[in-house]
Amino acid sequence: MLVFTRKLDEAIMIGDGIEIRVLRIGRDGVRLGVTAPAEIAVHRREIYDMVSAANASAASSDAQPVQKFAARLRVRAARPTPE
Amino acid sequence: MPDADTNAALEIDTRFGKCAALAADVVVLPEGMPGFERCRRFVLASSPDIAPFTCVHGLDEPRPSFLAIDPHLVVDGYASPLDPVQRQRIDVSGDEPLLWLSLVHTDGDRATVNLRAPLVINPRRMLGLQVVAAQSAYPLDHPLPID
Repeated sequence: MLVFTRKLDEAIMIGDGIEIRVLRIGRDGVRLGVTAPAEIAVHRREIYDMVSAANASAASSDAQPVQKFAARLRVRAARPTPE
Repeated sequence: MPDADTNAALEIDTRFGKCAALAADVVVLPEGMPGFERCRRFVLASSPDIAPFTCVHGLDEPRPSFLAIDPHLVVDGYASPLDPVQRQRIDVSGDEPLLWLSLVHTDGDRATVNLRAPLVINPRRMLGLQVVAAQSAYPLDHPLPID
């Protein structure tokens, strides 16, 4: 990991199109501004990790009951909706 | 994959059984998915045995495959608005129709669906992304009514 100490309004550049700037330093944390091309996704780390864990769990989840679950969903969808 | 007719129907042996897709129906997620960043290309495969689920079948290593379902089928009024940056990433302009797929987790007798981080696909460009939002009205594990 590259470690920098930045003061208010100072910034870091990554590659030739990404910049991270310190906008405010306060009690509730450090406010950072990120400038990046649209095609580069920027995420809060903990949210990214949460989705990553959910994806891993979905990718390894049990395939065995799937056809049974699908059949139950089809039955449900075919029921007439109550008035 | 062979260079031939992109309208050719493919039969794919997925972990959910044999499913069909068109050779041309490869969706590209330019950033992959969190946890599977190197897998950019996916086929959306279906079969009457797994409908209304779809199989999202990864073509690049580590070739993950997922069960998915349209979140609009799961909750009434499902809405996950895209911000301008997300729209730009999948080249969406105006009101064009998008394809939404939420990943399903199965465990014994239960299934839950990730409504918080759906895949959204622009079918005109076959470009997609997984929504990773700071806030959401929806959970990562909404129960599916399969009982």
